[in-house]
Amino acid sequence: MSAPVSPGLRSGSLPLLVALMTLLAGLSLAGLAGVQTLAESWSGAARNATTIEIPSDTPQLADRTHTLIQTLTKTPDVTTVRELSTKEVQTLLAPWLGQVSESAGLPGLSLPVVLIVAHTGTPDLGTIVQGVLPEAVVEEDRRWGERLNGLGNSLIACAWLAVSLIAAIAVLSVGMTVRRSVMAQRKSVEIVHFLGAGDLTISSRIAGRAALLSLAGSLVGLLLLSPVITMLARKLTPFSHGAPAAASPASTWDALIATWWSTLHVLPRMLLEELGALPLIAAGLGWLTAQTVVLVWLRRLP
Amino acid sequence: MIRLLNVSMMPPGVGQPVLRNLTLSVPQGEFRWLLGPSGAGKSSLLRLLTLETRPSAGQMDLLGVSVTHASRATLRNLRRRIGFVPQDYRLIGEWTVFDNVALPLRLRGASERDTRREAFAVLEWLDVAHLADKRPGTLSGGEQQRTAIARALIGRPELLLADEPTNALEDAQARRLLTTFQELIEMGTTVIVATHNEALVHEAPAASIVLQDGTIANTDIQGGMSVRRGERS
Repeated sequence: MSAPVSPGLRSGSLPLLVALMTLLAGLSLAGLAGVQTLAESWSGAARNATTIEIPSDTPQLADRTHTLIQTLTKTPDVTTVRELSTKEVQTLLAPWLGQVSESAGLPGLSLPVVLIVAHTGTPDLGTIVQGVLPEAVVEEDRRWGERLNGLGNSLIACAWLAVSLIAAIAVLSVGMTVRRSVMAQRKSVEIVHFLGAGDLTISSRIAGRAALLSLAGSLVGLLLLSPVITMLARKLTPFSHGAPAAASPASTWDALIATWWSTLHVLPRMLLEELGALPLIAAGLGWLTAQTVVLVWLRRLP
Repeated sequence: MIRLLNVSMMPPGVGQPVLRNLTLSVPQGEFRWLLGPSGAGKSSLLRLLTLETRPSAGQMDLLGVSVTHASRATLRNLRRRIGFVPQDYRLIGEWTVFDNVALPLRLRGASERDTRREAFAVLEWLDVAHLADKRPGTLSGGEQQRTAIARALIGRPELLLADEPTNALEDAQARRLLTTFQELIEMGTTVIVATHNEALVHEAPAASIVLQDGTIANTDIQGGMSVRRGERS
């Protein structure tokens, strides 16, 4: 331990506070990552798909539908044109019409033909469809996509607001702890000041300790967060593509680590990076806050 | 060298100055007793000279530096050239005696080896080396006072200020301290000692500054300090 040239920090509940703040920040970041993924998925799916509905009473329904599919398939930017099966249409309409058996169908009601057109750009499908089959209704999923995108962006903003709020509370907590500590050791701080200690000498010792305690508290917070993150990762596993299967481990520890690693693999890389950076951010915030509080306090002394 | 010209001091929140229009000059390497009844302003003058506060009016120069409008960095460097023995010792309770005494040298960036050697030399001289690892709270008043004296002396200050530095010391220790002051003066240190102890003043007659109601009542310049030898055991 280095020789003392200034009083240190009386930590109080600082590590516990930072641990809880890290836990909250981690949860918010996980939520944020989830919302971001969802928003991207919504906006991507909706932006690149168009639904075309052809009423069942359209004359020469089968031939004209076939012509429309041929025309759409040849249109630039259109990647696929798929006709939904009767079962798929029934499933699609189930929220309005209720469940009906495939064999029985819907008495007195014939189902429309539904086409799903996937595309990469923004082809003018409305004009093309009107030219071939004016009875068809073009449902531009883009509008829904825009709405969903807006909702996603709002959720992301809320999540960022929560993260910012947590950071502000953490700064406030560290600041109050440091100030309380300086007040409790006021006489000692004044003694070293009047013996010729520089402001930075005094503040750096306190700030160094604050950074160390914040780092330790944050690591504990991450440890508390790990079960939640693991659980979240397990929920995401069915939706992940290409997640490596856990190899058959030789021992229980190997099994745990392999399972944990394969579980973590499904989490967004950015979330893992953000969580990994949390202890460093906590330490940096602790150091900066403590420096500022002590330097401001010392300004009252001549 | 200490030079005060019409210096006044009014602490914040106090209606009137506790020091008024002080003008005095103490050349480098001289000794002064600081005398006066309680409340005369001795501690306030020491607070000014130890740079715990700035004058509210007037001009003050310490060790060739104008203090009145000096920057914080200048004051910090000046403080490292001043030794102070406060009446209430002002030791850091969480630290050991050794760490308290070593502080001035560590602040100057001295090596740990030199700091250790110097600290133990001064602690041994003051008969408290065996207490180096103790906390100040476990010491007697006299031991704490000697620790405070050790801290003031360790940096070989150019200006040494002491507020009742012998009130918890035995006669022999007080006499040794006076001898030390005399040695410091011979090495060029300016020494100012505030005391109520008339016997001590009688034992080491020297020039004095007498304060009364925040002003200088009398400046008695009667030559250098001279410790009378053999009058006390």
